[in-house]
Amino acid sequence: MTVPLGGVLLAGAAVTALIIVLLVAVATVHLVRGRRASRDERRKRELMPLVHAVLDDDPDDGIPLSDVLGAPADLDDIVLDLLPQLRGSDRETLRRLLAERGVVSKAVADLSARTPWRRGRAVSLLGSAAGTHHVAGMAALLADRSLEVRCAAARALGKAGDPGAVAHLLHAVAGERALPTGVVGMALLDLGTTALPMLRDALTGEHGASRALVAELLGVHGDPSAAPALEDLVRDAREDRGVRRTAAAALGRIGSPTSTEPLVSALTNSTDPRLQRTAAEALGRIGDPTATIPLLAGLADDDVTVRAACADALAALGAEGRASLEQVAAGPGAAAADAQAALDELDGPVRRPQPAGVA
Amino acid sequence: MSHVLVVDDDPVIADLVAFRLGRLGLEVSVESDGEAGLAAARQLRPDLVVLDWMMPRMNGLEVCAALRSDADPALARTPVLLLTAKAQEPDLERGFAAGATDFVAKPFSTRELISRVTAALPPGSVSA
Repeated sequence: MTVPLGGVLLAGAAVTALIIVLLVAVATVHLVRGRRASRDERRKRELMPLVHAVLDDDPDDGIPLSDVLGAPADLDDIVLDLLPQLRGSDRETLRRLLAERGVVSKAVADLSARTPWRRGRAVSLLGSAAGTHHVAGMAALLADRSLEVRCAAARALGKAGDPGAVAHLLHAVAGERALPTGVVGMALLDLGTTALPMLRDALTGEHGASRALVAELLGVHGDPSAAPALEDLVRDAREDRGVRRTAAAALGRIGSPTSTEPLVSALTNSTDPRLQRTAAEALGRIGDPTATIPLLAGLADDDVTVRAACADALAALGAEGRASLEQVAAGPGAAAADAQAALDELDGPVRRPQPAGVA
Repeated sequence: MSHVLVVDDDPVIADLVAFRLGRLGLEVSVESDGEAGLAAARQLRPDLVVLDWMMPRMNGLEVCAALRSDADPALARTPVLLLTAKAQEPDLERGFAAGATDFVAKPFSTRELISRVTAALPPGSVSA
């Protein structure tokens, strides 16, 4: 079969033309983007003196306020970019400027917008720009039908910095429209130490998921005032196992010697190997030598992960723990191997292989 | 008049810092990356360098270390103030080990920055 030469040439010309059109289109897009970027850059440069004037310590010597309030909307973008990089009176000044320019009130109105992206953008903006105002409006979006908006609301509440948001955020961990605990946890951490009293109160909250999250965060903060309440959680045999484990880990991070007793009790009496392991790890972190004997007893546990954790904890107790380990290592049985492994780890960088299924 | 070199790849921050320091009666130069910042420092011999950490081409620590090992003893002694979001304990250790004189953590307050710049410059360099 032969293909007509004219057809081949026509097809070739069409392909070539298509390629040229595509190249021209790509070049045009690049050109337009480049021009837009340089125009935005130029506008920023033109508007920056207004931001400088607002932040100037000597307002009588600068640009009139009317010029700043009447400036184009690009000024808001500059201020919103700058806000997260500043703190103290600079941040408050810029927040006030956004409020005076109507940016905040428009965002408040947009919290009930029909489209999720507008609600999400509005709540994000309020988190940066509104400070501790409008917390109730932002918190309402924690129950939004869109997961993205709910996450944006949690992040915004964290940025806003009002400890009054703690209860709202913890409520969002449970229920039909629950938020990922990681998102809520980051928001609660963003609130900083001002949230600690509310977090401590929330340790007796209704939902296990929020109690576990709070226990973890108090451990991250290393809050010694939370130790008694966390110890109560570890002691409470009716408490959710996950919450008890998280509380035990938090006590290890806090490092209060008063926590030795409940942790030893959990190690000795619990039937949950994961709680026992966490309790042993926490005892190692606290470093109280009175835990030596219970940890030595833990070396005889049936569960290999508990034995390993007890051996590591003994190694962390210092000279007394090491001497105990050496004694056990010289003896017979599985405990000797765990004790020797802990000693080896103390003396060198060799990592003990984890048993299958252990995170 | 004391001369301050500001090196930051964020033009909004660099402009703001330059403006605030300029209002103190200081002469201010601005560069937008580490390599250009180091070249400017060698050419301009500033009295103080305000340096971002995370920058393209050459980061703030590399610039700081290069300044400290410069053949010119005066330049090697130039105070360097790191203006950076990396201000955790290990970052501070690394920064001071590289030769930083002081830190200002981002998010920052321009008033704190001014106080630290004033403290790093010879007395009388800054107009009240």
